[in-house]
This record gives sequence, structure tokens and C-alpha cells, in this order.
Amino acid sequence: MFGFFKKIKNKITEINSDLGIDERNQELFAVSALFDTPDDIIKAAKTLSSSGFKKYDIHTPYPVHGMDDPMKLKPSKLGFFTFFFGSLGTLTAIAMIFYMAGFDYKNIIGGKPFFSLPPSIPVTFELTILLAGAFTVFLVLILFNKLPLNNNPLLDTEYMKRVSSDKFGAIVEADDELFNKDEIIRLFKSLGSSEVNLIYKFKHNELTTERPIFDFKFITLLFLLALITAAVTYFSLNKLIYLPPFNWMSEQFKVKPQTQSTFFEDGYSMRNPIEGSIPRNELPYEYRGLPDSLVKYMSNPLPVSKEVFEKGKTMYDIYCSPCHGYYGKGDSRLNGQFPNPPSLHTDRARLMKDAAIYHIITTGQNIMPAYDKQIPQLNRWAIVHYIRALQRSQNANDGDMNK
Amino acid sequence: MINTKKLSNKIKYTGTACLIIGALLIIFSFLFDAKRAFYNYIIMYTFIVSIAVGALCLIAIEYMSGAAWSVPFRRVNEFLSSAIPFLIILVIPIIPGIHTLYHWSHKDAVDTDPVLQGKSPYLNETFFILRLFICILLWIIFYIFIIRNSRKQDYSKDIALTNKNIKISVLFAPFAVITLTLTSIDLIMSLEAHWYSTIFGIYYLAGTLLSGISAVTLISVLLAQKGYFDERIQRRHFHTFGMLMFALNVFWAYIAFSQYLLIWYADIPEETFWLLKRMNGHWQYFSISIIFIHFIIPFIVLISSAVKTNLNILKFMAIWLLAAHWLDLYWLVMPAFDDHSLAIGWVEAGFPIFTVGIFILLFVYKYSKVNIIPVGDPKLKHGIDMFLYPDLSID
Amino acid sequence: MSYDATYTKELPLVPERSSFPELDEVVFKPTETKPTRAWYIAFIISSTALLIGALSLGYTLYYGIGMWGNNNTVGWGFDIINFVFWIGIGHAGTLISAILYLFRQKWRTGIARFAEAMTIFAVMTAGIFPLIHVGRPWLAGYLFPYPNQHNVWVNFNSPLLWDVFAVSTYFIISFLFWGLGLIPDIANLRSRTKSGIKKFFYTILSFGWRNSNRHWQHYERAYLLLAGLSTPLVLSVHTIVSFDFAVSVLPGWHTTIFPPYFVAGAIFSGFGMVATVLIVLRKVFDLKHIITIDHLEKMNKILLLTGTIVGYAYAMEFFTAWYSGYQFEQFVFINRAFGPYAWAYWIMIACNVGFPQLFWFKKIRRSIPVMMIIVILVNVGMWFERFVIIVTSLHRDFLPSSWAMYIPTWYDAGIFLGSFGMFFTLVLLFVKLLPSISLTELKAVTENAQPKNH
Repeated sequence: MFGFFKKIKNKITEINSDLGIDERNQELFAVSALFDTPDDIIKAAKTLSSSGFKKYDIHTPYPVHGMDDPMKLKPSKLGFFTFFFGSLGTLTAIAMIFYMAGFDYKNIIGGKPFFSLPPSIPVTFELTILLAGAFTVFLVLILFNKLPLNNNPLLDTEYMKRVSSDKFGAIVEADDELFNKDEIIRLFKSLGSSEVNLIYKFKHNELTTERPIFDFKFITLLFLLALITAAVTYFSLNKLIYLPPFNWMSEQFKVKPQTQSTFFEDGYSMRNPIEGSIPRNELPYEYRGLPDSLVKYMSNPLPVSKEVFEKGKTMYDIYCSPCHGYYGKGDSRLNGQFPNPPSLHTDRARLMKDAAIYHIITTGQNIMPAYDKQIPQLNRWAIVHYIRALQRSQNANDGDMNK
Repeated sequence: MINTKKLSNKIKYTGTACLIIGALLIIFSFLFDAKRAFYNYIIMYTFIVSIAVGALCLIAIEYMSGAAWSVPFRRVNEFLSSAIPFLIILVIPIIPGIHTLYHWSHKDAVDTDPVLQGKSPYLNETFFILRLFICILLWIIFYIFIIRNSRKQDYSKDIALTNKNIKISVLFAPFAVITLTLTSIDLIMSLEAHWYSTIFGIYYLAGTLLSGISAVTLISVLLAQKGYFDERIQRRHFHTFGMLMFALNVFWAYIAFSQYLLIWYADIPEETFWLLKRMNGHWQYFSISIIFIHFIIPFIVLISSAVKTNLNILKFMAIWLLAAHWLDLYWLVMPAFDDHSLAIGWVEAGFPIFTVGIFILLFVYKYSKVNIIPVGDPKLKHGIDMFLYPDLSID
Repeated sequence: MSYDATYTKELPLVPERSSFPELDEVVFKPTETKPTRAWYIAFIISSTALLIGALSLGYTLYYGIGMWGNNNTVGWGFDIINFVFWIGIGHAGTLISAILYLFRQKWRTGIARFAEAMTIFAVMTAGIFPLIHVGRPWLAGYLFPYPNQHNVWVNFNSPLLWDVFAVSTYFIISFLFWGLGLIPDIANLRSRTKSGIKKFFYTILSFGWRNSNRHWQHYERAYLLLAGLSTPLVLSVHTIVSFDFAVSVLPGWHTTIFPPYFVAGAIFSGFGMVATVLIVLRKVFDLKHIITIDHLEKMNKILLLTGTIVGYAYAMEFFTAWYSGYQFEQFVFINRAFGPYAWAYWIMIACNVGFPQLFWFKKIRRSIPVMMIIVILVNVGMWFERFVIIVTSLHRDFLPSSWAMYIPTWYDAGIFLGSFGMFFTLVLLFVKLLPSISLTELKAVTENAQPKNH
């Protein structure tokens, strides 16, 4: 166990020395100076900026207030980005909710409108904050401060250690146009610096000289990672969720469609009503089991109205159309799984009395099952009206054109 | 040590004119349509309570939190809260109006209504009047104590007085919340006696603090611009005013939204009728404009940091928010008077004019008696200094 | 006019004035030394609790949530109680780090980092509960609106979905806020450390931060912006948690004061937990001169304030239930106070409203042992508040035939214990591995830390 950690530690030390982290060459990076008080550093900053230096910097263990003016820094523009991404979050959320709830997947929940503003506000608010906050952090680090950056020569120096803890430091980089080593040392001394040092660049800097992104090892690693991710995803989505306990939800003691019931002797899972029970608000049908010829001709109790036709159409489309087709042409949608019935536009069907059609719906005919348990009486009559209308529409005569 | 710079007489005349015109208009409105005038009177009374007690609450909060930034402006709060003793006079016209305003005060209505019968131990005239006066008395007591100590300090410069006021403020805090809750329930919520909402007291409290800070901002900015304050008080000192107006406005919106969403979502008829009244007829346009006037426009204006130190915009927004609070109270009260159409006319005009007059005259009077800056407060120097230098974690 | 009055300074934040290197030493000590025996004992206890929780949770995941005490009537039990409890505890951290920052309460600096860490751990702990509450947590991905093969989108009208957004946003933003604050301190650690392995991690985590004032400027702006964003966020999170209850039509849940009441309660319970842990922490890690008795006193004042606000909400609920004239509403509240769960109700009232009133007395505010007892009672009381809200409102249904009692099982208790185990294990690891006090902020508010004249 500990041997393993030791190995890692050795490896890291090795990498560090490979990168030349502790070794520096003789190329000067900057002149640094340490100061003891915040007032001194403000004075130093003022002097440096007014002397015309561009590539200088001030390092303090904590933000010293009032540094912007001496260093002539412009106010941070970060707020605009925060505002922009916040607004983006607001719009994204509203658009998302409107599309998903109000357009693509309309679902009635608690009688509420599909899309309405009050219940959309919480999610909108959260997304606003999320985008604004997350982008603020990423932008301040990456765009504004150009981090992460671990090869700055200032890092891992005694100077950095002091300005992280208790001293206030200033540097002038060797790249600066006005750079003059001796003069700057003198300037720092005259400002009251307690310690002036020279900071050199790293001996070699692999991170900037080579491109680790094309490294063979790195590419192999990426490839392996992709492979593992794909494998894990495949395994979880295709295998794991069918293993116990994840599949327990699908192995319940309940009736499933298209399977035989093991509980009831007859194998049916749905029960028929007890013999002699009649539906509420309906009379038992008295011509059950009798042939068409014995059925008494009762007339359709429903008026001919738009509502009735609409009801009839709905019922017809649900219960009748799978076999008879939407227009009663006998064009079943069952693709031969069940024999196609004859068309409803044959002379025989057209000349049938209303009551006969009603009788067939109620008790069934040939291989057509009875629908009395599924469709209430008045709805059956509505279907009859609708079938009549269908027949009429498919067999229009000249006289109809004039109406 | 009294203020060296005198207020110009123009202010005094404006105040007097407002007061007289307002009072005349109010009298006419009572003669013209007493019922409508009574409803307006409730709005005016609750608005004056908002500013006066709101300013006192802000003083208490300053003491409790040990804030220093607000010390130079504390006298403005004190001047505004000096309306508190006058509430005892202002409340009197409500008493003859109880029958006109409140459905629950009618015996025959209560007899046929089991819900009102259940409420009658609380909603009856004796207890109602008693509560009104108890609230005012409590405010007056705390007002006198806090203000007296503050004034004494001008001469004695005694830190013990600050500590005493901190104690009084801490005591005042729970009483303030309870009394404002009672005031809002009694005067506003019971106008529609069947309706109830637990958040109502906080809704009114949010509006109170908001209008309190807006009034203080308005007067402080005016004084600073005309040079009645010390010249060391600069634009930066007003940043916190802007921030608080913004924050309290968002708080008000938060409370208002919470109440609306919960009633909207649960959709219980016992509660929704109150909102439905405000979402139908002419009121729906009014309700929508309240959202914009009270929340969205001030939110957008005040969100920027630069605006919070722009005195002219601050002044404008302070007036805006005060008007918004008036409209908010109007929105709470008036649908009980007419649930279909808005009642806006000359009858309504007298009340805000009168209110402005009261506060101007009170201010003028107090200014002639008391220092505009609490010169003896130990935190004063810090309060002025903290913005003079950019030595600030928040700029 | 003259302003001659002597200005009394606020109490210095670091009374026994230490130099910056001394502060570094004290704050970094736990990260640079071997753990003490006390730390090991605490760690063993908390990780044992975590293990018990993990086992109970394992059973639950394997056999399903039938292992819990929930029943048809009381469908929300320990799972949701614990969720609300832990989410509430998380709120103090953001309050301290963001709201008090905006209000320039400098005393917050000593405790802000720690409180933020607690926020993150509490939200992590809280996040477990709704996940396991859904029964099949491996399908929880469906809570997010992503295009799926069923062509089904999530229900944006449901407060439970708002919770998903609120809690995940809250976690992400708190984590970023905390991480941003840690960067300079980790950079400091990186400069100090001599161990290669530590240096490796510190180097990664510090992003190469080099204390440049060109960076500090943006950094401070970002900190301020995040504080500004977190303030409404923290209000929104518990508000949305309260919506879970309040948008329903259930008496006892549907009341308009819920949002601000829940937020106040959350801050109250959060401060209770922060205080509990800080009292122990400052003793174990010898931070008494950084987390001073003055800090604790301020926290006690906030506890008193929020406790009283919560008391106001209880009173308003009760009053309005009576005032409403709505018999179901009235029944629920009478049943709460005098029904079968009256004991829970009175524990809640005593711990949340009663005991904190002792903080009116300065002596008690400054007495560590008494304070310790009261803050623990606050934690207990706030847990019972959620128990009362959830269980007493549910167990008496509209239909008396479905009235039932709620009796938690050992698995409920085990998971509850495990949540404490998880939280404290994370806290212990945090104080050991990372600086638990923000040094950069602390240094910035010490005396003479800022320039005097310009």
C-alpha cells in the first residue's frame, strides 16, 4: 500500500525534474523587490506606473484596496459578461420550457395551462443564476487571468513564497522596453525595498517547446478512456439494467398484456361481470342472442346533431376503425392479423335498419365480438349515426350536390 | 449646535400649500363620496405608517447591526419617523368609517355568515380600535425612547447612549413586526374578511421597509445636492442606499411572487377569489402594470453599480418606488371598493398631496430644532470615513 | 459643525494580533502535520456511522423502499425530512459567505470558508435523499430534460422538478464560490510545501495563481458578483423546497408564509450546525484566537433572530388557521399541537423558539457549554420541524378511513445516521486536507493590512 504511494511520489519527482522545475538558466526573467507595508507597495506601484513601465506587476498576499488607481488599471469588465450569460440563461430557460411543455410534449398536469409564466419562473431563475455564476468563474480564471498557467518563472521562487505569506512584492519583467537591470534595482532600493532579487527563467520548458497534446502516450490515454466510457455505457444500458435488482420492477406479480393469467383457472386476466348484472343507467339489451330478423325496429334515440356526429366519430375511430377502416371500407389496419371485414358501403349494409346495426355492435356478428361492455348504449347509437353519415358520404348521389 | 444653514422658506411654503390643498381636497372628497374617500384614507394611513414606522425600523436595524454607513443620515430617518405621534390623530377618521369599510362590522352580515362568526372574537369593533391604538402607542413609546437618546448624544457624546439604543432597538424589533402585521391584517386584509394569507404581514413589512428606505434616500439626496450635509458626504455614500432599495425591492417581489404563485397553484376557492378580483375587469391591467412599475423597471434601473452612485437617478427612483408603494396599497385596498373598475379621479388626488405636505412640514419643523447630522454619535466618523477612501471590500 | 466624538473601533478581528507568518502557521497546521488522536477517534466514529448508513442504504436499494416506514398515507417519511433538514443546514454557509459579505460584516471572514464547505457537504448529503426516495436512483437521469427515446419531457409544472434545478444549481455555484476562494490559499500552500506529492496536487488545484494584483482586481470583482448571485440563489433554494409542500392543497402544507419561513428556518438550522461544529473545531485545532468568542456571540445573536422569525411563522400559521375559518386547516393545527404527534410539535417549539430565547442574556451568549447545548437543541428542533410539517400533515388524511401513523424502521434510522456519518467524514477530511479558514480574507481585514493614506 505505502510502497505504491512511494512509487507515485518518485514518479512525480521524476516528472518535476524532467520539466526542469527546480533548474533555472541564466536568462533573466525579472527583477523583484519585497516591501514590508501596504503603503510602501502603493507608493512603489505609483512610481512604476508613472515611470512608464508596462510589464510590471504587484504581488500581494491579499487584495490591497486602492491599488487600481496607482497601477492605472481599468475597471474590470467582468460584470458585463455575467449580465450577458445571466440573460442568456433566462432566455434559454424560457425557450426550453416553452418548447418542451407548451409545444413538443403537451401534457395536462393538475389542470394547469401547458405553458404559463408563474410556474416557469423558478426554473428560469435557477438557470439564470447557474449560467451567470458558472461563466463568471470560468471567465475570470481563463479569459481575464489567463489561468491555469504553471510555467510562469515567478512560481516556486522564494519571492513567490514571501508574497504569498506576508510581504508585498513588485517586479519588472526583462521584456519591458524600459528595462534596465541596475536602474531598476536602484529604483526599488530607493523606494524602501527590504530585499531585491533577480528571477531567472526555467532551464527548459517542455510545456511551451513541445506539444504534449500530440504525445503518443496522451493519445493512447484518450483512446483508452473513450473505449472504457463506451464499454461502461454499453454495459450499463444494455446489460446491467436487466440484472437483479434493477429488473425487479419488470418482474412483478401482476397481469401483463398478451400473457395468460396463472391466477384464474380459465386463463383470462380480465373478469366478466357477474351473470345478470346490468350497467348503471342502462337497460339490459333484450334481443341478445336473437338473429337480426327477430330484432324489433326501434329508431335511433339520438338527434342528428354536430355533437352526436363528433361523439360517433370518436367512438368509431377508437373501436371500429381498426378493422373497418376510417371510412368503413373494410381496409383493416391490422395487416392481416385478423380477417378483414366486408365494406360498410355494400348494398346490404346500406339498406340495413339502424336498429340492426345497433344490434350487431351490441351482440357481435360472425367473428366480430360484442361491444356492449366497452361502449355505452347511447354511444353505440352515436356510432350508428356516424356510420350512416359515412355511407352517405361515400355514396353521394346527384341530389346531394344541390343541398 | 443647530444647523447653520437655514432651509429656504420656499420649502416651508410648499409644504403648507400641499397640506392645505390636500386637506381641502380630502374634505371635498368625503363630501362627494364618503365611501370612496374612506378607502383612500386607509391607503393614506397605511402609507404614512409605512414611511414613519419604516424609518424607525431602519434606525433600529442600524443600531442592531452596528452599521456605520447610515449614521450620517440617521437624522433623516428620525425626522421621517416623527410622524408617528401624529398617527394618533390621523387614525381617528378611520373609526367612524369602520361600518362603511368593513363588512364584518355589520351585525346582520355576521349573523348569517358562519365564517365571520368564527372570526368575530378577533374582528369586532372594540378589539379592532383597541389594536389600532395599542400599535400606535407602542410605536410612540419606542420612538420617544430611541429619539431621545439619539438627541441627548449630540451634547453628551456618550457611548452608553448608543448601547442603550441598541437594547431598545432589539426590543423594538419583535414589536415592530407584530404591530405592522396586525395593522396590515386589520386595516387591509380584513377589508375582504373572508380572505386570508399567512404571508400578508410580511408583504406589508417588505413594502414598509422599501418605502422607508426610499423616503430616506429621497430626502438625503435632496439635502446632499443642496449642500445641507457636510461636504465630505459624497456620491459614494449613497451607494448603499441604492443597494438597499434594490435589495428590498427584490425582497418585496419575492414575497409578492411567493404569495401569488402559491395561491395560483393550489387554486383553492377560499383564496383565489381575492386574486381573481384583481385579475379581472380593469384590475388586470392594473395588476400587470404593478409588476412592471414596482418590480421590473426599478430592478433593471437599479441593478447597475454605476446608477447607485448617480444621485439624480437615485432621487428619481426613490420617488418612483414611493409612488409604487402607494399603487401597491391601492391595489390591495381598492378592489374591495369596486371590484370591476379602477377608481381614479380627483377624489384620490388629495390624499398623496396631503401626505407630502405632512412630511415636508414635519421635516421643516424638525430641521429648525435638531441637528441634521447626529454629531455626537461615536460611529459617525467611521461612517463618513468609510467612503472617503476606496478602502472598501465593496465599491 | 464639528465631529469631535471619539470613534470607538470595532473589535479587532484578530485580537491577539498575530503576524502573517504566524497566521499561516496556525491555519495550515492541520494540513502540514499528522492527524491527532482526537481526529482519528472522530474519524473512526463518523466513518462507522457512514458505513452503517451505506449498509442500510444498500439493503434499501436491493430490496426497494418497502424497507422504510413510509406507508400509503404517510408517503413522505425520513427521506424527505432528512432532505429538507440537510438542505437547510447548507444555507448558513452561503449566508455567511455571500449575504454577510454584501453587508460588509467583516466578522464573517474567520468562519466563511468553513461554513461554505459545510454548505457543500450538506447539499451533497441532502442530494442523496431525493435520489433514493425515487426508488430506482439509477434512473434518476430522467429528472433532467434531455431528449430521450420516449419523446417525453420533464414536467415543468412540478415543484419537484424545480428542486432538481435549484439543488443542482445551488451545489454548482456554492462549489465554484468555495473553489474560487480556495485558489489563493492553495497557491500559498504550494509555495510552502516541501512534499512532492502534495505539491503535485496543490499545483493542479491552484491553477498557477501568483497573487498578481492584475489578477486580484478581476478576482475580487468575480467574488462580488458571485456573492450577488448567491444571495438570491440561497433564498430561492429553500423557497423552492417550501414550494414542494406549499403548492399542494394539503392543510398544514399550503400556506403562503412557507417560502420566507423555510428560508429563515434554513438559516437558523444552518447556523446551529455551523456553531456546533465550530465550537468543537476551534478547540481541537486551537483556533480560539481566530474563531473568537465574539464570533460565536454574533452567531448566537443570529440564532436568536432567526429562531424568533421562525416563532413568528409558527404563530402566524396557527393564527391564520384559526382566522381562516376553514375547518380542515383548523383541524390540522389542533391535531399538531394536541394530537398523537404532539410530543414532536412541542419538541419543535421548545427547541426552536424556546431555548434560543436564552440568548437574550449576554452571559449565556458567551458561555461555551450552554451555547453548545442550545445549538445542539436547535439542530434537534429543526429536524423535528420537518418531521412535524411532513408527518403530522399527512397522517390525518381527508378521508378518516386512511388515517395512519408513521413508524420509521431501523433502515430509516440507519440511513439517517449514515447521513451524519457522511457529513462529518467529509468535514473531517476537509479540515485536514484544505485550509479551513480563508487566509487571504483574514489577512485583508487584520489591523494595518490596508493602506492608510492615498
